[in-house]
Amino acid sequence: MRGAMTSLPHYRAIPATDLVIRPLADITLLYHRPSGQTHMVASPVPEILAALGAHPLDSHAIHARLATCYDLGDPDEARAAIATHLAEMAALGLIRAA
Amino acid sequence: MKHRIALTIGPASFRIGAAWRAPVARLAALYHDYPAPPGGIADFTVRLDPVRPWRRYIRPSIHITGDHGLADAAPMALAHGLLAAEMGMNLQMALGWRRHLLLHAACVEKDGRALLMTGESGSGKSTLAAMLGERGWRFMGDEFALLDPATGAVHAFPRLISLKNSAIAAMEAQVADAARFGPLLRGTAKGDIRHLRPRADAIARMDRPATPALLLFPRYGQPVDIRPVDPGECFMRLTQASTNYTALGEAGFDCLSRFVQTIPAQAIDFPDGNSALALVDDLWNALR
Repeated sequence: MRGAMTSLPHYRAIPATDLVIRPLADITLLYHRPSGQTHMVASPVPEILAALGAHPLDSHAIHARLATCYDLGDPDEARAAIATHLAEMAALGLIRAA
Repeated sequence: MKHRIALTIGPASFRIGAAWRAPVARLAALYHDYPAPPGGIADFTVRLDPVRPWRRYIRPSIHITGDHGLADAAPMALAHGLLAAEMGMNLQMALGWRRHLLLHAACVEKDGRALLMTGESGSGKSTLAAMLGERGWRFMGDEFALLDPATGAVHAFPRLISLKNSAIAAMEAQVADAARFGPLLRGTAKGDIRHLRPRADAIARMDRPATPALLLFPRYGQPVDIRPVDPGECFMRLTQASTNYTALGEAGFDCLSRFVQTIPAQAIDFPDGNSALALVDDLWNALR
């Protein structure tokens, strides 16, 4: 169990100056300065971005942070969903693998 | 170029040259109220070239070129030279303009505030803008609305109104001055087309920007319906309706995200022009 926990990928935020975040009523707009790309994202992506800082975190640690503010339902399902989002966000350059 | 004309439309200026006299003479007649480029220097050049040099004499056909070109800009018959010039000007704006965020939208103004209408070809936005332009609104354009990234204001691009198919007879019934109409162009890729010159006041005031106040997504040929469009959907549809959003980078993002955050938007369906005018009246009056 301990080995499985330590093998989870860790992520950290990219520099705050690299990302312009503009929440609209229903979705959030992101402008990624390094690529010049615009992304339209919905929950939980903005919440994951807000939870991440310079310190590397894995999906379990992010789940623990988000669970203090949001009702995330079944913990295992929520952690798996967060892990999928993290991988997608890293592929887009919105966060960085640590 | 053997025959040429230079003119200003809103903030943009064009030099149009052709191997033939006819398209330039028609442009000169229809655009005679439009000023020459400031200092005589145009932003864009549009050339209407013969597809092959000798085709100037046998079966003439026009190929649109200019500063910015598309490989598949189709050659057109000479009879449609006016349409080719209009398409050439649109093409230069769509591909080359960087001073404003360019939205594929019709625009009219009243009391300094602008109503923008965006949608695909055939949505009715052009006809609706033309009708409003004859009813106390200032016509600002039926093809492009130019958003200023620095101020958020919309600038006019009031080129000739491109009336298509049933809109032709509808506007012929509403505009008494026959000199404002161009020739009827039959059998173009979009059916019949006839150009209409905007009213003189729209041309005289074309350098005055307006503050955006309402965005509509019109849809012609449907039963009357009104549906609010949320900011996220507006943003997505407007990035698709902009030809230079990506090219403007962060300035475009800032401009468009501020626009959708502040301007109310509605999708309107209507079966005919009168229903559309009533819907616009209701929505505009509800803003106050």
